[in-house]
Amino acid sequence: MQNVLNGIPLWWYLVVSSALFCIGLYGTLARKNAIALLMGVELMLNAANINLIAFWRYLAPASSGGLAFAAFVLVVAAAEAAVGLALVISVYRATRSIDPEKLDKMKL
Amino acid sequence: MNVINDLLKIISDFVAGIVNSIFSFSPFLADVVTMGLAAVVLCTFAALSFMGLTYVERKVVARIQDRVGPNQAGPLGLLQPLADGIKMFTKEDTTPAAADRWVYNLAPLVIAIFALTTYAVLPFAPGVVGTNLNVGVFYIIAIGSGSIVAIIMAGWGSNNKYALLGAFRTVAQLVGYEVPMLLNVLPVVMITGSMSLTDIITQQTTLNGNPGIPFIVFFPLSALVFLISGIAETARSPFDLLEAESEIVAGFHVEYSGMKFALFFLGEYVNALAVAFVFSTFFLGGYAGPVLPPYIWLLLKAAAVFFIFMWLRGTLPRIRVDQMHNMNWKFLVPVSIVHLVVVMALMKLFVTSPAQVQANGGILVTPGVQAAILFTASLAILIGSLLIAARRARIMRLQEEAILEQRRAENIAAASA
Amino acid sequence: MTIQQVLFIVIALAVLGSAVFVVTTRNLFRAALMMIAAFFGIAGLFVLLDAGLFAVAQVLIYIGAISILVIFAVMLTRGMQGMVPRNSQATAAAVTVAIVFAVLLLLFGPLRLTIDVARWPVLSLFAANTSPRDVGGIAWTPPGQVIPPVPDTYIADFGRSLVDLNQYLLPFLLIAFLVDVVLAGAIFIARQRRPAEVAEDRQLQAEEEAEEAEAMRRAGALPGPASLPEGAVASTSDH
Repeated sequence: MQNVLNGIPLWWYLVVSSALFCIGLYGTLARKNAIALLMGVELMLNAANINLIAFWRYLAPASSGGLAFAAFVLVVAAAEAAVGLALVISVYRATRSIDPEKLDKMKL
Repeated sequence: MNVINDLLKIISDFVAGIVNSIFSFSPFLADVVTMGLAAVVLCTFAALSFMGLTYVERKVVARIQDRVGPNQAGPLGLLQPLADGIKMFTKEDTTPAAADRWVYNLAPLVIAIFALTTYAVLPFAPGVVGTNLNVGVFYIIAIGSGSIVAIIMAGWGSNNKYALLGAFRTVAQLVGYEVPMLLNVLPVVMITGSMSLTDIITQQTTLNGNPGIPFIVFFPLSALVFLISGIAETARSPFDLLEAESEIVAGFHVEYSGMKFALFFLGEYVNALAVAFVFSTFFLGGYAGPVLPPYIWLLLKAAAVFFIFMWLRGTLPRIRVDQMHNMNWKFLVPVSIVHLVVVMALMKLFVTSPAQVQANGGILVTPGVQAAILFTASLAILIGSLLIAARRARIMRLQEEAILEQRRAENIAAASA
Repeated sequence: MTIQQVLFIVIALAVLGSAVFVVTTRNLFRAALMMIAAFFGIAGLFVLLDAGLFAVAQVLIYIGAISILVIFAVMLTRGMQGMVPRNSQATAAAVTVAIVFAVLLLLFGPLRLTIDVARWPVLSLFAANTSPRDVGGIAWTPPGQVIPPVPDTYIADFGRSLVDLNQYLLPFLLIAFLVDVVLAGAIFIARQRRPAEVAEDRQLQAEEEAEEAEAMRRAGALPGPASLPEGAVASTSDH
C-alpha cells in the first residue's frame, strides 16, 4: 500500500527527518549562544539530507540526482559551519560575547 | 599444499558450518553469531599482536640504541608483555576530582573501539575478510577521523588544562595529516576503479589479466607520503611531540592510569599495526605472493612496514610542532596535489585497454609501460619537489646567517663604541 | 517485525533523543558530544537506506571535521567554562516549532487531506494530474509499486554524473569554487590581527565615534557647541 522496503515504509523516514528538522529549528530559535545556534542549523541540514536520501532510495535509486543533491547539501553545510564558526570566533575576539541578540549594530 | 594455502579459508568455512548447523532454525541468528565470532577473533588477534609488538618494539629500539632491551622477565625477556599487563592491571584506578565521569571513562574505550574497527575491512587471504565493503578505503579514513573525537573527550574529561591543550594540539596534528593521506590514496583508487580493498589487491595480483605489479612501483611518491602521514596519524615518533613526557607532560592522557592507560596504549599500537596492514594492502600487494601462503605474505609485509616504523622511532629526533605543521601544509599537500593532477592526466593519456581507447581516446600501452611511465612521473615530482624545498631551505638559511652576521657586526660596533 | 524495522526504531529514537539533548542542555561541550551521537545515528540511517557511501561520508565530514570545529569554537569562546543562560524566548520558539512540525506531518505523513484541484487551481502547479486527489501522504504511491533495487555501480554512476556535461558538472564546479572561497575566507576572518592592524582598527573606531558625536551636536541632540569648522568634517573618511 505504501512504499515499503524491508518493512520500513517511506513515511517513517520522513517523520524522523521532520522531527529532527523541528528540533533543530527549536535549537536555532531558542538559544542565546551563537554556537548552539549553529548546532541547530547543522541538525536541520542533516534532517534535509535524510529526507533526500530516503526519497532517492525509494523513488529513483538508479538515478544519481538524489545523491548529487545530498552531496551538495553535505558540502555546503560543512562550508557554512566553517565560516560561521570563524565569524563567531572573530566576533568573540572583538566583543568578548557571543550572544546573537547583542549583535544588533552594523559595526562591532 | 592446498591445505596450507587456504588454511584460513578452511577454518572459517568449518566454523561457519558448525554455527549454521547449530542455528539452523534461524539463518539470521546464525549470521549474527558468525559475525560475532569473527569480530572476537579479529579483536583477539589485534590484542595478541599488541602484546607481541610492545616487546618487539622495545627490543628493536634498544638494539638500535646499542643496548639490549628487556631481558629479565622470562627467557630473553619474552614474558615482558605479561609483566607489563600485570602492572597495568594492578595499578590504582584514579579519577581526577571534578572530572566529567562519563566522558573521562568513555574516552579510552572509544579509542580502542575505533582502532579495532579498522580490521573489519582488511583482507587477510582471498575470501577471508571481515566485510567486503565497496567503500572500504573511505571507511578506513573515516574511522581514523572518528577516533580523533575520543582524544578530545580524553583531554576535556581529565579536567586538566595541560591535558586539554595537549588534546587540541594532537587533534590539530591528526586532522592536518588526514589531508595528505586522503590525497595519496586517490591514485590507488583511481587506477583500481573501486574503493573495495579486495579489488585493490586483485589489481596488484596476476588475476584477471592484471600485470601483478604492486602499486608502490606505480606511485612511489604516494607510498612515501602515505607512510609519513600514517606515522603522523598514529602520533608515533618522530611525530610524538604531543605525548612526550619531557614536554607537554604526556599530553592528553596524563590523568589516566592503570587499565585506562593500557587501553590508550593498546589503541596506539593497534592503530600503528592497522596502518602497516593498510599500507601493505594499498601499496605492497596485500596477501599476493608467489610461494608462501597468502596470510604469511601479508604478515611479512606488515611486519616489514612496522619494522620501518620502529627504525624511524629509534633513529630520528622528535620534530617541533611548527616544523610538523609547516611540512604538512607547505610541502606534503602541494606535492600531493601536483602528483595527483599529473597522475590523472597520464592515466587518461596512456590507457591499457582497447575499449577505453575507443571510448575516450588515448595511447594504448601495455600495463608494464604504463607502470614505468607513472613511476618516472612520480619519482620526477618527488625529486623535483625535494630539490625545490632544498633550494628554498638554503635561501632561508643564508638569509638567517646574513641577519646573524649583521647583528654580530652591530654588537661589535656597539661594544667598541 | 523485521530486523530492519527494529534497527530503524532504535536508531531513530537515539537520533531524536540526542538532538533533543543538544538543543536543551546548558553545557555546550555535552551538546557537541550528543551532536556527534546524533550524527552517528544518521550515518546508521544512511546504511539502512543502502547509501553506504553517504554513511561513511557523514562520519568523515560531520564527525571528523565539523564536530571538531564546533568543539574548538566552544573552547576558544570560553564556552567550556561557562554555561549557556536560559532563554525566555523558549516558549515562543516551541510553539512555532510545533506548528511547523504539524504542517510537515500533514504533508509527509500518512495523514491525508483530499483537496479538489478544481476548487484550488493554484494546486495544479504542484500536481501533474488535476483530478481530485490526496494532498497529504506524499509518500503514498499506488499499490503494487515495486521499489527498484540500487544498482551495483551506483558509486561509479554518481561519480560520473558529477563530471558529465549533461548532468551535474556545473553545480560540482560551483561547489568546488565555494569551498575554495570558504577556505580563504574563514582563514581571513579568524586570523589574529597584527598589532598594527589592531591599532588601525581602534583609530578608525575613535574617528568614527568623534564624527558621530559631532553630527549629533550639530543636530542639537547633544549639548555643547559644534567644535570643528564646516570644511574639516568631510576629510576623515578617505581610508
